[in-house]
Amino acid sequence: MTATTTIIGQSAIPTIRSPVSEFYRRFKRQRLAMISLVVIVVLVVTAFAAQWIAPYDQATPDYDALLEGPSWAHLAGTDSYGRDIFSRMIWGGQVSLTVGFLSVLLGGVVGVALGVISGFFGGWLDGFIMRVMDVMLAFPGILPAIAVVAILGPGIVNVIYAIAISAVPVFARLVRGTTLALKQTLYVQASRSIGVSRTQLMLRHILPGTLSGVIVYASLRMGTSILTAASLSFIGLGAQPPSPEWGAMLSDGRSYLGVADHITIFPGLAILITVLAFNLLGDGLRDALDQKLR
Amino acid sequence: MLAYLLRRLIGTVPVLLSVSIFVFAFVHLLPGDPARLVAGQEATVEQVEGVRKELALDRPLWEQYARYLSQLARLQLGRSIKTHEPVSALIAQRFMPTLWLTVVSMVWAVILGVGLGVLCGVKRGGWQDRAAAAAAILGISFPSFWLGLLLIDLFSVRLGWLPTGGYGGWTSFIMPAFTLGSAVAAVMARFTRSAFVEVSAEDYVRTARSKGVPERGVIWTHTLRNALIPVITLTGLQFGFLLGGAIVVETVFAWPGLGRLLIDSVSFRDYPVIQAEILLFAVEFVLINLIVDLLYGLVNPEIRLQ
Amino acid sequence: MLRILSRVLLAAGLVFGASSAFAGSDLVVVVSDNLNGLDPHDLNDNISQAASRLTHEGLFKLDRDMKLVPALAESFEANDAATEFIFHLRKGVVFPDGTPFDASVVKFSFDRGGNPANNLKRQSIYVMIDHTDVVDPYTVRVTLKYPFGAFPNDLAHPGAAIVNPKLVEQWGKDFTRHATGTGPYELVSWDADTLKLKKNAKYRIPGLPKIDTLTYRSVNEDGTRLAMLQAGEAQFITPVPPAMISRIEKDPKIAIFDKPGLLSLFTTMNNAKKPFDDVRVRMALNLAVDKAAYRKVIWSGYADEQFSPMAPGLDGYVKQTPWGYDPAKAKALLAEAGYPNGFEATITGSPATIPKRTMEFLQQQMAAIGVKLTVETLEAGVLTQKLYTNPAPETATIQMLQTGWSTSTGDADWGIRPFLWGKGFPPVLNNFAYYKNKVVDDAIEAGLSTVDPEKRAAAYAIAQAQAWKDAPLIFLGQAHNLAAYSVKLKGATIRGDGQFNLDDDATLE
Repeated sequence: MTATTTIIGQSAIPTIRSPVSEFYRRFKRQRLAMISLVVIVVLVVTAFAAQWIAPYDQATPDYDALLEGPSWAHLAGTDSYGRDIFSRMIWGGQVSLTVGFLSVLLGGVVGVALGVISGFFGGWLDGFIMRVMDVMLAFPGILPAIAVVAILGPGIVNVIYAIAISAVPVFARLVRGTTLALKQTLYVQASRSIGVSRTQLMLRHILPGTLSGVIVYASLRMGTSILTAASLSFIGLGAQPPSPEWGAMLSDGRSYLGVADHITIFPGLAILITVLAFNLLGDGLRDALDQKLR
Repeated sequence: MLAYLLRRLIGTVPVLLSVSIFVFAFVHLLPGDPARLVAGQEATVEQVEGVRKELALDRPLWEQYARYLSQLARLQLGRSIKTHEPVSALIAQRFMPTLWLTVVSMVWAVILGVGLGVLCGVKRGGWQDRAAAAAAILGISFPSFWLGLLLIDLFSVRLGWLPTGGYGGWTSFIMPAFTLGSAVAAVMARFTRSAFVEVSAEDYVRTARSKGVPERGVIWTHTLRNALIPVITLTGLQFGFLLGGAIVVETVFAWPGLGRLLIDSVSFRDYPVIQAEILLFAVEFVLINLIVDLLYGLVNPEIRLQ
Repeated sequence: MLRILSRVLLAAGLVFGASSAFAGSDLVVVVSDNLNGLDPHDLNDNISQAASRLTHEGLFKLDRDMKLVPALAESFEANDAATEFIFHLRKGVVFPDGTPFDASVVKFSFDRGGNPANNLKRQSIYVMIDHTDVVDPYTVRVTLKYPFGAFPNDLAHPGAAIVNPKLVEQWGKDFTRHATGTGPYELVSWDADTLKLKKNAKYRIPGLPKIDTLTYRSVNEDGTRLAMLQAGEAQFITPVPPAMISRIEKDPKIAIFDKPGLLSLFTTMNNAKKPFDDVRVRMALNLAVDKAAYRKVIWSGYADEQFSPMAPGLDGYVKQTPWGYDPAKAKALLAEAGYPNGFEATITGSPATIPKRTMEFLQQQMAAIGVKLTVETLEAGVLTQKLYTNPAPETATIQMLQTGWSTSTGDADWGIRPFLWGKGFPPVLNNFAYYKNKVVDDAIEAGLSTVDPEKRAAAYAIAQAQAWKDAPLIFLGQAHNLAAYSVKLKGATIRGDGQFNLDDDATLE
């Protein structure tokens, strides 16, 4: 595996480890990122184990317990039909986490690919791809969503496509910018001149360099995706009732602000914690991946 | 340089042409009959057909597209299907409120965002980093309608210091710009931090430090200039997005902006308004991206733009 | 010391006294959506129509209780067949720009509104007119193509308002931005979401209106509208979501307007297709809904039980025996009809708060009797497409539609025919339930063909009773109209049809 030697003073040979364990070692050192990872795992497990964890069924109403604040019986209170909010949040995690994650993954992969290709090859290809991105950007976020759902029908899968589509041009533009800068580095130019293939260059040298921006934006985008799904339900797109998707719960709470704030606060907190966790994790990943940091 | 600019500007024509085709196709692909939506639920069939004929919606698609293009060529945007008002008047009324709100919000966002991001980057790993990171995240995961309504409740209803909304004097900008800018600031902050951290570890920075260049100088002249690339990209994109209208903020603060106009037009399938607005957004983005690309070259002269 | 103090107080008193003498009363009314224009002949939404009633008047109008009162006409006569009407006009009325009001103006207005070439949205108001004649400067005779007993009510509709011919000629297609008529207020400006009006100095009733300026603003967000009222930036807001009433009930500066309205809420079922072609199924679904819970959960109590397909307050309204809440009987009926284990269906509607929540509620209620409902919220354009483009009831894609109806004319005919007449299947009218019953159809047609109130009442009694028995719809309730206003404002109300109404003599301290 790896050879290890003890360090004797400054001039000793430093330990050599495989890249994977090196990455893992550095990642472990970031306490906050590790905590975030744990939080995320807990969120995911709780969400997908909802049927065993949630105290109540997410759709059973109780008209005698409407809009009750948090109590021992209902940890997060009840909503406008008397349903337990805590249980709905757990169940809702399944939908919201999936929507957030998949839409960002889909949009990210496509966008990054387009951005790297565009920035690397330059010329007419760059011009063409970027002009297509410009056309996509001209349609404000909500519009492709409306189009996709109006044509394909409502439902969470189509919402994922819709949100992913609006993420593509952003990832593309971001990555292209960084690619342009990286292309100029001595390292890349030298590699080109000794004949390293373009694919190799893109994959092993340029792509990792764009990762820091991608990770940061992707982790932020998780939150906005969930919130976008919320605004989509206002127009009849997105999760259909009685889905406990967090964004839909937020939308319901809008009419009750000042009357039953807990309906908005709890899903809002859930989204906040999720986005925070993903962001801090992203920071940790970014810091650990960066080869130049010690 | 001039040649590059000219080439880019000429290059915008095919973009705008494609946008016009796409948006035309888009509005016609959307299920829904504008004639019926405009005539209303209580209209008779004859009335609906009358509206359809008046708006030339019964003519074949290619003919409708041709009419649309010829109108555009004469720089005319047509009339709203719903209200018969000239589209240019509708957009003109809302353009300045949107532009001003965008500018003020972006200024706030950049100041707050870049400031927080630099703080994070300089104190990387310290408690300031985590606190600022958390504050930034708060900005982006806080639903803006909630923030907006809370602000209104506090500053307008309870304290009476600020107007609840609407496009008015400078006081009416404070809450909407804060709400809008905070979300953007969050993005700026994260990116600035990330870029900052990355670049500060570069060899040449360490060399500059070891040469005894004062820390401030190191940060500003060496690090930030190159960290700026993704930040510039983001700023441009966010500016463009905000120009497209910040729908939630416009709704909550009753701001007469382009975002609400678009959403309402889509609900009514008001083709001329939708088409005109999207074309406007396309023009805005093309210009913004041109400026961003030029800025890349300014910040890092090595980036040669072909 | 005392002398200085009293001087200061005197000076202060002068300042304050002087400012209130100069300050005119400015009423700010806030509604939920933008105006679609100012041309009364081209508007089909409540908000724009309510605004146009501030600047324009018709021969008749509906007062705050939706009762017919004379406006620009003083009286009328009709022949027995309800095909010829003679209107005697008020004398001495002028438009704000000085144009005099007379019979030729009425003819111009009716001809313009009803001319198919103009394609104005309110054409249907004039569709029964064959021709209008000027008998003398203050007498107009209108001949109809067929009997229409409700004609005077028709003329009270904002769409039948009299427009200023001079402005129409001057502005042409842009008239909708500049229209102003003989109403109590005159147009000052209309920008994006704000309409500014001022007192019409030439209004036909001297001394009125008492309010100097009126601003009509559109604010989409319910919470913001409420905040504007609470902060004193507005004096009348509508609508107020039932859930938010508790936020302002205790405020001494705010009064709540809460009156039963004409909006009937119901869910249609496609009567022409299984499983809703069987009256037992329809009855079962009616029995399965706990209406008291409906009123509590959806309307926070601000709704009433429904007792007839027609709304209370309409002439000819007759209370029927309520369907009640009996899930056991509902299950039994379903079993009798061949669905012992219930069935699955889809309920469709708008994603707006009330319809969406109603559908979720119904989903919960129906689950108790074994009927599994899938909720489908559709965007406005898509929904309209699906509703109005079916060649036959059997091809309709929507099984159950969450909707309602509110008559805009205050007349019995328009309170039942659009959604229950056998000849009114979409796209002709709005009979989304595809309900057809000869007894009901004959009664509706009888009511339409006479002006005699007794004959009409008898006809509608038959129509209502039969339509109620057949349960073509799930009858849910009658909504209240809710608004909130400053205690300093007097004379502003919401009419039964949900439109904002400002009395001519309204005052704002």
